[in-house]
Amino acid sequence: MTEQKRGRDARFRLTDGLLIALMILPLVGCIVLKVLFTPESEGVDISGAMVFLRLPAPGQELIISESQVNSWAIMLTLLGLCLYLTHGLTEKAETKRQLIAEWIVEKCEGLVQANMGERFAGYSYLIAAIMGLSALSSLSCLIGLFAPTGDVNVTAGWAILVFCLVTWTKLQGGILNYLKGFMEPIPVFTPMNFISEFSLPVSMAFRHYGNVMSGAVISALISTALKGLSRLLLGALPVIGEIPLLGIGLPAILSIYFDVFSGLMQAFIFAMLTMLNVSGSFPQEAWEKRQRKKAARKQRVAAAGA
Amino acid sequence: MQSLSIISVNIWDILISFANLAILTWIVKKFLFKPVKKVLDTRRESIDSAYARADEAEARAEEHRLNYEAAMAAAKQTADQMISEAAREAERRGNEIENEARAQARDIRSQAEADAQLERKKAEKDMKREIADVSVQLTGKLLEREMKPEDHRELIDSFLQELDGE
Repeated sequence: MTEQKRGRDARFRLTDGLLIALMILPLVGCIVLKVLFTPESEGVDISGAMVFLRLPAPGQELIISESQVNSWAIMLTLLGLCLYLTHGLTEKAETKRQLIAEWIVEKCEGLVQANMGERFAGYSYLIAAIMGLSALSSLSCLIGLFAPTGDVNVTAGWAILVFCLVTWTKLQGGILNYLKGFMEPIPVFTPMNFISEFSLPVSMAFRHYGNVMSGAVISALISTALKGLSRLLLGALPVIGEIPLLGIGLPAILSIYFDVFSGLMQAFIFAMLTMLNVSGSFPQEAWEKRQRKKAARKQRVAAAGA
Repeated sequence: MQSLSIISVNIWDILISFANLAILTWIVKKFLFKPVKKVLDTRRESIDSAYARADEAEARAEEHRLNYEAAMAAAKQTADQMISEAAREAERRGNEIENEARAQARDIRSQAEADAQLERKKAEKDMKREIADVSVQLTGKLLEREMKPEDHRELIDSFLQELDGE
């Protein structure tokens, strides 16, 4: 009995170790890749993601850059995190990680419930995924990686997914209603409605991308400036001159704002906008009206059948 | 290794990102929400059943308590009844015994009174006779005249009767 238990414990711990490795190794791999491929450079270097691979594809080249690789690594990390948190769930919630998992699930569901209502309960998965992916992507610059959210293609992909969901939700009200929605309040507004419709994904994508990228740019500028300043002031000294002393402190404090706070904030904002846009695209009253209409039609059909 | 410029739109990268988010949503659903919700559901079920069991047990306990109280009340009533019955019975018996004793005493007394009466009457009679005899002899001697005893007795008896009559 105890032998069996010990065996089970050992297996449990081994699985835990593997899952933790699944969480950490992808990020470590990304750091290694970054270190291997970063060219020696002097001075300010503000550019997009490094390109690892260019593949021929119809229309446009398929570029595998840092942002894609880092995104995949972060997805693997999140997968590992999910598996780790839900490993060994029990009815009595004996482990801390189970409490964390339950907290995440309940918070996400509560948030979706509060902002979107009962009928959109299925969106809690998407919201959890957006928050996790966006937050971890933005935070990945803390370990020296290129933040995937600093690439407009990444946030554009997410924004287009949200746009598709918004359109799909609108189409639930019927294609005619959807088309009629563009002509409100009067048909003259149709072009403007089109623009506002398609500005949603663009604004969402650029908001997120711009915040993260601008933070990175400011961080890079300030740290370079401080490096230059310390070389100017202390460069004459023998040993100390080699170390950019002024670079200690301020960039770290700025990083707390630009990387941590702004990153988490943007993740929350993106999730919030997703919820509001999706639920706003088919308001509760219209949905209820439609449900009533459906029920009435069903009743009529039933009556005709009888 | 070259880098992309800071804004470079690539349709394939957008598609990859789109797919990434979709896949991650599936991952989160499958590997985080499903298991956690399953556990939450089973917990809710077990809590519900525990509550139901507790309610049932409580109802049963209440029922037992009521039964017990009713039994206790019945027992108390029976005991009270028995005690009061016993007391009544004892009183009745006591009264009976007392009355009996009283009657017996009365009997004894009346018997004794009757006896005494009889005795006195006898004594009176005897005394009368004595007195008569004595008187006869006395008067005989006093008068010194012969008198037939029968006449004499008759005279005295009438006298005595007069005496009684008074």
